[in-house]
Amino acid sequence: MPELKEKLYSLQEAAALIKDGARIAIGGFSVHNHPMAFLYELIRRGIKDLTIVGITNGNDVDILVGAGCVKKVETSYVGLEQFGLAPNFRRAVERGEVEVVEYSEDIAHERFIASVRGEPFFPTYELYGSDIPKYNKDIKEGVNPLNRRKYHAIPPAEPDWVVVHAPMGDKYGNVLYFPNRQSPSNIDIEKSRSSDNVIVTVEQIIPRTRVMRFPHLNVIPRYRTTAIVEAPYGAHPCSLLQTYIQDVEHLTMYAEAARDPKSFKGYLDKYVYGPRDHMEYLKLIGVERLMKLRVVGGDM
Amino acid sequence: MVKEEPTVYEVMATAVAHELRDDERWFIGLATGEKTRLLLQCVPLVGMALAQHTHAPNSTMVVAGWIHNPVVSEIPTRMESEYGTELRDWKCEAQTSDGGSPICYRRGDIDVGFGSAAQVDKYGNCNIVCIGDYRKPKVRLIGPIFQPGHFSLFGREIVILDHEKRNFVEKVDYISGVGYPRGPSTRERLGLIGSGPCMVLTDKAIFGFDKRTKLIRLRSIHPGVTVEQVRENTGFTHDYIPKRVTATKAPTPEELRIIRGEVDPRGVLLPR
Repeated sequence: MPELKEKLYSLQEAAALIKDGARIAIGGFSVHNHPMAFLYELIRRGIKDLTIVGITNGNDVDILVGAGCVKKVETSYVGLEQFGLAPNFRRAVERGEVEVVEYSEDIAHERFIASVRGEPFFPTYELYGSDIPKYNKDIKEGVNPLNRRKYHAIPPAEPDWVVVHAPMGDKYGNVLYFPNRQSPSNIDIEKSRSSDNVIVTVEQIIPRTRVMRFPHLNVIPRYRTTAIVEAPYGAHPCSLLQTYIQDVEHLTMYAEAARDPKSFKGYLDKYVYGPRDHMEYLKLIGVERLMKLRVVGGDM
Repeated sequence: MVKEEPTVYEVMATAVAHELRDDERWFIGLATGEKTRLLLQCVPLVGMALAQHTHAPNSTMVVAGWIHNPVVSEIPTRMESEYGTELRDWKCEAQTSDGGSPICYRRGDIDVGFGSAAQVDKYGNCNIVCIGDYRKPKVRLIGPIFQPGHFSLFGREIVILDHEKRNFVEKVDYISGVGYPRGPSTRERLGLIGSGPCMVLTDKAIFGFDKRTKLIRLRSIHPGVTVEQVRENTGFTHDYIPKRVTATKAPTPEELRIIRGEVDPRGVLLPR
């Protein structure tokens, strides 16, 4: 049989696929599972005018907004959970520098399901009374042809690109997640099916022979993947659930630094623009810190 | 029997327990920031567990939106986060893993939800999106998250927040959780399946809603708090203080024993 097509990219090559003005969905939830190494590379490239379409965002959106990469955010939440409000996002919205299109969390999720299923919109009654449809002009009112009742038509997510960070995959683009996973991982798998352009960063590239031994864990088969990238600790300082926990110290420092544009510039200079690539970033974080974050057996 | 006085958080958790009934499904979700975590996750967790230990054994609590009926006394963290391997391995009855099912929110599975807010207005509308004009906000907050669903789909909602004057306003700057806009019967006209906020709980008092007008009303004040203190720290301008204000029922010695001995024996959830 002829050789399979390899889809193994470097972070730099994969980040170059995304152009200014793109509409992207980022994997992860609040301060978990975000493909941070990939986002840092987008920032190093100086990408502009992104639209982020999300469900429950956190430091992913906050750092992109703080680095001036974002024009618009469609989501239900941008916050840092235990670390408080997202300071860059807050500042940018208050200054009118970023447009926000508000959805509720469950409906932001339904938008992705609508894209997965190729549905024209998601119909709902549950937004009546809230100010979401008043300010979100992408939501239109319709009349249910079956019972003449009014409803809101929610546009599908339709991202140009989806980028998620996963435990492992092979160089052909098959992506495996551990069993017994939690919803941030499952929602990322779902998101990966909402677009035809999918970039996956993984903790480790594994041989195809191992993929063939664990086919039931292959939840993003290679025909759905555009590019796969090896990025160990690629979610740091977020957790990758089942693999390593959040770097609480780093995220506390991030939230503090992001409060002020000057100190945030210092943060970007040190952790994003400073390191030449992801390995240099990991060296900066340090072996001891990274080892402390591991969850050995988290996949059990 | 425990002889010490209850803390304000124990009074609040007990008030939560008294609001809950048997055979119900209760839901707590994500909290942002340390104080909100205490109010929105720790107080309800203790309240729900107290109710299960006393009058509501057949109820189901859904913690962080995915953990069904965990053994609260064995909580492995302080709920700093909604997810994590320790939380996944917390002893419990069922887990959801895809962001929703098996809970059928839109079929009305959830009887009681817990929410917080930066603003609550006289009709119980809640706001966690922004302070000031939405298009040019003075303060941008977290965004609506699941609050619209809590207020439109859940049987009722318990709102828990700090008792500060600026939190209680005539009209919220953004409705992320809909109460009883423009008074009675609006919810029916809007076609909402849930019946809206039932109780607003603070560190000083409990508010309810007038059956006839649906205006928010002071229901009781916590032990040691005066009506004057409530008045000074509440921004409402309508007549919300009834002629006779009752005292919030403090935990009985037995309830306090359950909280400290069985629900939160390590003092992980509520500061003592």
